[in-house]
Amino acid sequence: MSDITQPSGVRRREFLKILGVTGAGAAATGCGPSEAGRLIPYLVSPDQTVPGVSTYFATTCRECAAACGVIAETRDGRAIKLEGNPEHPLNRGALCARGQAALQGLYNPDRYNGPRVRRDGQLVETTWEEAIQLFRQRIDEARSSGRGGDAVFLNRHETGSFPFFLDQWLSTMGLAPHLAIDPSMDHAVIAANREAYGVAWPSLSFADARLIVSIGADFLDGWGASVPQQLDFAEARAKMAGAPRLVYVGARRSLTGLNADEWIPVRSGSELVVANALLAAVRGGGRADLSTAASAADVPVETLQRLGTELASARPSLVVSGVRTVDAREVARVVNAINQASGNVGRTIRPAMPISAFEGAAMSADTSAAIERMRAGRVPLLMLRGVNPVFTMPKSAQVAEALARVPFKVAFTSYPDETAELCDLVLPDHHPLESWGDAQAMPNVVSLQQPAMDPVFRTRATADVLLEVAAGPPAAGGPAPPTYRSWLINRFPGGGAAFATALARGITSGSTARVTPRAPAPADATAVPAPVEGDGDFIFVIYPSAVLGLDGANKPWLQELPDPVSKICWQSWIEMHPETAARLDIQPGDVIEVQGTGGTVRAPAYLYPGIRRDTVAMAFGRGHTAYGRFAKDVGANPLDALSPGFDRAGMAAWSGSRVRVRRVGEYTQLVTTEGSARQHGRGIGRALAVTELGGAAAASGEEHAADVAPQGTGEGGAAAAVGQQPGAHGGGHALPGDASHEPLPGLRAPIAADAEGALRNPRTNEVGMYDPEHPTGMAKRRWAMTVDLARCTGCSACVTACYAENNIPTVGAAYQSGHTQGLPRTAGANILRSREMAWIRLERYWEGDEASPDFETRFVPMLCQHCGNAPCEPVCPVFATYHSPDGLNVQVYNRCVGTRYCSNNCPYKVRYFNWFGYGETDRPQYAWPEPLNWQLNPDVTVRGKGVMEKCTFCVQRIREAENRARSEGRDVEPDEFTVACAQACPSRAIVFGDAADERWAVARQLHDERAYHVFEELNTFTAVVYLKKVTHPAPAQLASAPAGG
Amino acid sequence: MAVAARPVEEMPRPNIPSANIQLPAVRSYQQVNDEIIATLTPTVAWFIGLGIAITALLIGIGTWIYQIYMGLGVAGYNPPVMWGVYIITFVFWVGIGHAGTLISAILYLFRAGFRTTIYRCAEAMTVFAVMTAGLFPILHLGRPWKFFWLIPYPHWRFIWPNFKSPLVWDVFAILTYLTVSTTFLYVGLVPDIAALRDREVNPIRKRIYSILSLGWRNSDREWRHFTRAYLFLAAFSTPLVLSVHSVVSFDFAMALVPGWHATIFPPYFVAGAIFSGIGMVFTIIIPLRRWFGLRHYVTINHLDAAAKLCLFTSLVVGLAYLTEFWVAWYSGNKVEQEYFMNRVFGQWWWAAWIMLTCNMILPLTLFSQRLRRNTTWLFILSLFINLGMWFERFVIVVPSLSHEFEPWQWTTYAPTWVDWSILMGSFGWFSMWFLLFIKQFPVIAIAEVKEIVPPRLRTHAATTDINVSGQHVDYSPETPGEHE
Repeated sequence: MSDITQPSGVRRREFLKILGVTGAGAAATGCGPSEAGRLIPYLVSPDQTVPGVSTYFATTCRECAAACGVIAETRDGRAIKLEGNPEHPLNRGALCARGQAALQGLYNPDRYNGPRVRRDGQLVETTWEEAIQLFRQRIDEARSSGRGGDAVFLNRHETGSFPFFLDQWLSTMGLAPHLAIDPSMDHAVIAANREAYGVAWPSLSFADARLIVSIGADFLDGWGASVPQQLDFAEARAKMAGAPRLVYVGARRSLTGLNADEWIPVRSGSELVVANALLAAVRGGGRADLSTAASAADVPVETLQRLGTELASARPSLVVSGVRTVDAREVARVVNAINQASGNVGRTIRPAMPISAFEGAAMSADTSAAIERMRAGRVPLLMLRGVNPVFTMPKSAQVAEALARVPFKVAFTSYPDETAELCDLVLPDHHPLESWGDAQAMPNVVSLQQPAMDPVFRTRATADVLLEVAAGPPAAGGPAPPTYRSWLINRFPGGGAAFATALARGITSGSTARVTPRAPAPADATAVPAPVEGDGDFIFVIYPSAVLGLDGANKPWLQELPDPVSKICWQSWIEMHPETAARLDIQPGDVIEVQGTGGTVRAPAYLYPGIRRDTVAMAFGRGHTAYGRFAKDVGANPLDALSPGFDRAGMAAWSGSRVRVRRVGEYTQLVTTEGSARQHGRGIGRALAVTELGGAAAASGEEHAADVAPQGTGEGGAAAAVGQQPGAHGGGHALPGDASHEPLPGLRAPIAADAEGALRNPRTNEVGMYDPEHPTGMAKRRWAMTVDLARCTGCSACVTACYAENNIPTVGAAYQSGHTQGLPRTAGANILRSREMAWIRLERYWEGDEASPDFETRFVPMLCQHCGNAPCEPVCPVFATYHSPDGLNVQVYNRCVGTRYCSNNCPYKVRYFNWFGYGETDRPQYAWPEPLNWQLNPDVTVRGKGVMEKCTFCVQRIREAENRARSEGRDVEPDEFTVACAQACPSRAIVFGDAADERWAVARQLHDERAYHVFEELNTFTAVVYLKKVTHPAPAQLASAPAGG
Repeated sequence: MAVAARPVEEMPRPNIPSANIQLPAVRSYQQVNDEIIATLTPTVAWFIGLGIAITALLIGIGTWIYQIYMGLGVAGYNPPVMWGVYIITFVFWVGIGHAGTLISAILYLFRAGFRTTIYRCAEAMTVFAVMTAGLFPILHLGRPWKFFWLIPYPHWRFIWPNFKSPLVWDVFAILTYLTVSTTFLYVGLVPDIAALRDREVNPIRKRIYSILSLGWRNSDREWRHFTRAYLFLAAFSTPLVLSVHSVVSFDFAMALVPGWHATIFPPYFVAGAIFSGIGMVFTIIIPLRRWFGLRHYVTINHLDAAAKLCLFTSLVVGLAYLTEFWVAWYSGNKVEQEYFMNRVFGQWWWAAWIMLTCNMILPLTLFSQRLRRNTTWLFILSLFINLGMWFERFVIVVPSLSHEFEPWQWTTYAPTWVDWSILMGSFGWFSMWFLLFIKQFPVIAIAEVKEIVPPRLRTHAATTDINVSGQHVDYSPETPGEHE
């Protein structure tokens, strides 16, 4: 495709020749990827494809098992952006960072470009016919030797029809049923839920709870179905005065812990005792329980007592557990008992509305058993699809050695991961965005999956391959083997027509399988903790990286997205409390070695105040030894230190073992985007206690919640606005110390006054810089944004959404580090020099005393504030940045000469410079090696080196909406469209719109008493208005709670 | 018959204003011509020096080509420290370019005689320093090939530069200054070029000198016009000395950045510029007068007087430093206060203390006459001043940007070999021009020196001299009181 980018001077005659030749070729062979032509991808365009106009396909996200609905935007036959499907019951229009990054899985340059077979020890390319023939032959051999029942198929756990299809196929072929594995799932909770409620995962209603207690469950980021949970939690927090308090109990503050109002740092491994004590408290038990628990957990007994009292009195409450110790299932059982005793079942826990994603997954112990059978040489044939046990199981489990004992291994994996590289045959699967399928989102909701585009590589859908294998060798001229699509349609109630109708929405009611709720069994609440493994001074906590998941490491967007907690990217790190580090004389970045029961792991130290002094923690997700250029040799795998262990439900126990820690004597600079972790009293992220809220806002919380309901439904927003008067929300409320409070973003700015005609000369009728009556009507608008810090959880989905929408280059890959002078050529070198390009970044500030567990966290999404009086504008010598009449601070890349003065003068530091040719194909720093560049948004310029860039408020979306409205002869409807970050935000914290028009949600939000501008004292008149975070102090502390902010 | 010189009981105090301009060892116009024009003959050492300068320049050019191809990322920029060595060096060279005009124009108007023998050197230094400085705003651009967009030129789309931007003011200030200082240098050179022309035997060089001397015939009329023109140019250049560096300081003072946004910047920058320029004059003239055997022209009295000017500007600069701290405290602006704490006692303490030591503390030694007249110390001190003034700009540019309003974006900064190579290349560029200059044109103004050569004494003048008190003393080519 590099031809496109080079104006190589094709003359008209040559063009016609090319058109003729490639057109004929395309017509003869169909639209395979290899024919994707010269000028636009499709010379013979499929129906619906109009050059320059997007086509949208509703499909399903398969990045995790939850199966959120996505809408894939395709342009000229290529998927360029994923958005949440607003009609999908799970994600309701939101999409997390991993979901956004599915595109980089689709276009990953390291994908297998076709089937591979092992010859002379090497995986070499082959044809599909040969590969399928070989596969068929091996299956026949296994069957004829009578060992078909011993074959193992490890499939990545998913819901929908495919598992049934697969088992059907396996039984047809005389092979054993498959194992659906997903090591990131909380199997302990699933097991306990089955006992208590008969379903794997009841839906959790955070909004209805008065108190939420999370025992190690990072429900905002990674645990369970995080997008729906986050949506729900944000709704809960938006209730302001009626919002639940969140207490986090765990050895390490996860992202959920940082969002909690209180952190109780119990020792890892003591969660069971604590949960038992809380159960006793809820049931009216004695104090003895509490003191034992307090000493085991190493927390003050008063804290537990207060929590117990609070839990007993707050009805309904919601208690969740997500520990990964050997006691995980017991903790989950006790937690279920607490919920039952508190009467939460049916109110905040709804077994009647389960989330189906968690049904049917096999335990890690089952996988382990299969691996042991391989080691014993009893498995004749191994098939893997989307799973990578060599990476996701501890090194000490010696999975690779066990695999070596299997005579023939087939990988249906699209990526060269550790396991696939060991296989004998690779039959690369389509990416979910290239293939048909379905998923069970909820018991009565099927989420449909359809290809958004033609395959990028010479891959084939595994289901189709299996059908072809089952059909036997193709007879010459015989009918083509059935496809999985036809199989799905046959199964679909109503057949093809109904299927096509349903596809348009992406969801349909119904079920792909009948899940029979089992009768709840009584929980055993008296279990005692299992003995702790290992010896050493520290307890090791391993948690799945929320950003990367199990397999996100090969996607540069995710590698470059700083961890929401540590803010480290392109690197692994070991979390350690600053006091512990001082005791051991460890500085940030000193490489430390953790010696566990199964081996050692090394990584630089990150000093984290949100971890217990006797605990070290590490995220799982990096440390690949294969898996492509973005993942290989980046970071370390914490499982290297573990010996394989399981809890009583068979989930791999990652945390709670004792380890030794020592300083190695090496130093690695931390690849962090954090400058100072403290605000230094500068009022960037402000907060106030719920008790300080004025009556009006406390009461109108619900109303605001309605304002920020999923956008894109213009009519609804307009209808809600009827009857609303400006200032009706108590805009006159002044907070203490906030005398000048008058948050009209940009409206007070001199430029805005000009656009409103203030500079008009009444005699000559000359206007100022902007004509308020200009036919475009631009001067009437004032684009603005509110960011509700009470909703924002810091999950960073907005960041990745922005990367996807605005063609922001990633700069941290190892291959991009070569010319970053003075630094090692490892991944992240450019970020060591703060050259990340995130137009929107999540700042994470500590507030209060970090030495005590009561420190608070403020997350602030920081983006260009589109100041009405922008400091960047007057200093640009060439007018490359200027103000548009509708309030945008515009950057003209073509005009920029790169003096970088604008960035120096920006108080918010939201301007980013192209230090290298990240957008130039012939430079070693090129950010989108083919075919990653297929994802680039054609509406947004790819910036060359030497120019400044920054958030544009998605100006391409603004103009598109305006143009669409104009062509339809109407005005832009209120909330008709929104920007990429706001659209993705799973907390609905970001609201974008026209502040000059009271019908827009954003205009109403500005009157909130919590509204403030960052650095208002600089007279920048920002168009981004933040709404203060609301903290919920413990009831006992209410009387003496200090003012926030 | 000869009157025996009376024994000198006591060395006359040399530090007398009327004495410090005199050249007791220069005894005739012929001698002036002979001795100064003799310095124009190239030597082996000069070729070696030129070779080193050109090598440094070529390394710098090669590095720049690499930087243009790869992008500015090869330099040590660490956002939000978006300006680094290049802007520091730009301000450094502009500052150096100030001493020349100060010495040739302002001191001329003030009739400060000690300027006579050093001004040509300082003026040449000015022109070359401004030529060097002018490269850096282009060098530091992200897209240097578009530099002309900063210049208002007729364009069919009527796109003009943004006249609100201090960077555009810079363009005007620097170009004006370069034009005026070059003109000034050239006009002052005309009678000297005529003298060279008259002595030159090489026909090609003679031809060039003939053209450059504009047909100067040493007539009274020419001299009358010449002196009026020179006076006019001096008066014309004088405000530029103040305005150019004020404009350069606006690059910083007009910004919001804590540590930049200060009204003291224009006078502070002007004083610093003159200070650094005098430092560079010492660095150049002290070795030069020694190598060229011109110590009886650039006498220690001249250097002593220049050292006093240096001391004075150092005190002004020091006062500016202290005022900055005081204002930061007095303003009650927390951002400003934290920035200054970080600058002096935090992250950048070493840079700040290099600056304070070199620019504020070490020049205090110039209160000692003995040290003022010690050329070795003056030379060493001048190196410290050069270093200190480079670090002054470092301290202004880098710590401010690395510690701004937004704590999340606080960073650090470390230049890479690319920055250093280009810095070195700038010294090569400057030295190349200067070395070429001193072998083509007299480094001491022949015509002006002749104006202060003492009246020729009668017969015994070859052996005795008259000191400033009117006493006859033994002839000595050395000015008394110089230490090494």
